[in-house]
Amino acid sequence: MSQTITIDPVTRIEGHSKITIQLDDRGEVVDAHFHVTQFRGFERITQGRPVHEMPALMARICGICPVSHLVASSKAVDDIMAVEPTPTGADLRRIINLGQIVQSNALSFFHLSSPDLLFGFDADPAIRNIVGVARANPQLAKDGIGLRKWGQQIIEWLGGKRIHPTGIVPGGVDFQLTVELRDRILAGVPEALAATERAIAWYKQDMIRWEEEASTFGNFRSAFMGLVDRDGNVDHYGGWIRVVDADGHFLADKIDPKTFNDYIGEAVEPWSYLKTTYWKPMGYPDGIYRVGPLARLNVAERCGTPRADEELEKFRWRVGRVAGSSFHYHYARLIDTLNAIEKIEELLKGPEILGKHTRSIAGINRNEGIGVSEAPRGTLMHHYKVDDDGLVVWANLVIATGHNNAAMNRAVLQVARKHVKGDRLEESMLNRVEAVIRCYDPCLSCSTHALGQMALKVQLLAPDGHVLGEIAR
Amino acid sequence: MPAATRAGSPSGPVLVVGYGNPLRSDDGVGPAVAARLAGDPRLAGADIRSAHQLTPELAYDASRASLLVLVDAGVEEPPGEVSVRRLEPGTGAGAAWTHHVDPAGIIGLARELYGAAPPVVMISIGPASLEVGEDLSEVVASAVGRAADLVATVVEAHRRA
Repeated sequence: MSQTITIDPVTRIEGHSKITIQLDDRGEVVDAHFHVTQFRGFERITQGRPVHEMPALMARICGICPVSHLVASSKAVDDIMAVEPTPTGADLRRIINLGQIVQSNALSFFHLSSPDLLFGFDADPAIRNIVGVARANPQLAKDGIGLRKWGQQIIEWLGGKRIHPTGIVPGGVDFQLTVELRDRILAGVPEALAATERAIAWYKQDMIRWEEEASTFGNFRSAFMGLVDRDGNVDHYGGWIRVVDADGHFLADKIDPKTFNDYIGEAVEPWSYLKTTYWKPMGYPDGIYRVGPLARLNVAERCGTPRADEELEKFRWRVGRVAGSSFHYHYARLIDTLNAIEKIEELLKGPEILGKHTRSIAGINRNEGIGVSEAPRGTLMHHYKVDDDGLVVWANLVIATGHNNAAMNRAVLQVARKHVKGDRLEESMLNRVEAVIRCYDPCLSCSTHALGQMALKVQLLAPDGHVLGEIAR
Repeated sequence: MPAATRAGSPSGPVLVVGYGNPLRSDDGVGPAVAARLAGDPRLAGADIRSAHQLTPELAYDASRASLLVLVDAGVEEPPGEVSVRRLEPGTGAGAAWTHHVDPAGIIGLARELYGAAPPVVMISIGPASLEVGEDLSEVVASAVGRAADLVATVVEAHRRA
């Protein structure tokens, strides 16, 4: 008799989800699904809203990456207005977006993943958490909090507020950077760099401990997608879409992000509210690809900043030119953070950054617009249609977690096949299935988080749906 | 645990954090209460914040506060009902789930990393709806004022003590 093991919900990811693992008659894993059980209705509630409200509204989708939605949304409205932000406005947008990358990457690595890495995947959950990290390695925990705080301060100081900032507007930004504020941000750069480099050193020193996980945590061949600049370096804000295969060969390059619909398809599966995107030329489900920090490093020639490029060289020496294991998202996330900090410094020292022309003004000049940028978790696409009065009639968001959905499912299946034996629920299996999902740091932030609502529950279900066993923590 | 753990910073400010997702109907009641309290003379000098969720860096600011008041939707409460309870430092394991830290985790981090954790008061408002939407339900909207008054009462009592 086949059985289904359900892990519901997954802890330490954003939002509501569960995992089901399908066993065959012999107790072997035959299939696995990562389900998102919360409906994301933001596209619906935007209909009828004035399009100029969209950036501020979209920023409220998520408390972790509001700037990502703000940037992509503003770019979509730029497109509708047929304007280019001023150079100073674009650079200030870049800085806020990079501050977002720093703080979100820090949350993922230090807060969510470092407990697994520090204590091991089988350690008692009572200590395998951020408070446990604070006890065992206070410098690591302080570095994580310091990076979070610095990234958040950049967002707050430039964007107006830490959560749901509004400083980025269609046409650019609605503020002018002062010398005092520029210098205040720059003053934090040395410590941010030092904290990130300490974490990289710590990670590399302990990498050998996780060789087995690296070989089985979503280690498979797939394409990768990310934005690159004119030189082929990582671009977190604009540039062109590049897609490479598992060997690093270009599947596509210099794609105008505004044409993404020609290349990216969206599939809907009955078991999840999360859409699954795919590379159209390869069809569904074969057109699997990954986005995010690992993809950014895999598609680009270089990071484009000296310290990050030095670490990228070591990264590629250790894991290959195109890293296939999703476990290496952790390592890539740290290098991505280093890259973001260096870029912030570089932009703040630019000759035009204190310029007073920070915003282009225009009205509704098109009925359709697309904005694309790199969010912490990967490429983010906002696509709007408006009527002649500028009211939104249709909106579609293609989010990083959707790009990674097929890859996450494959990763869960791989880990389950390695660690699930028989029909019993064991902590070691749970820990690893959860951990492989956390590599992608999925954000399903449509969720509520009302106090007391979530806990980890694991159910073992028979084919007819009745619960054979259940554990919780 | 650090040997020099202190009960917050007695001379520090009161920190009030209303948190929740304002695009999920009544989950946004925490930020709504924070907005109501902004400029309230009863909380003069307090640091009043609105947040989507609790995140680890709050531990740093909490360690420098004399009191931390958290306001959130609480699914254990009946819709519109407002409850208050004190969270004792060290009462939680601080286990993290999703991208935010639970209140016990904030306290634990403040103690472990900065040697001080303030008393924490949790004010919960029972939600009627957590569906996608920007408006509070009628019953929860009517509770915002009561919750704000309760925060003010807690802060005034703390300052008198």
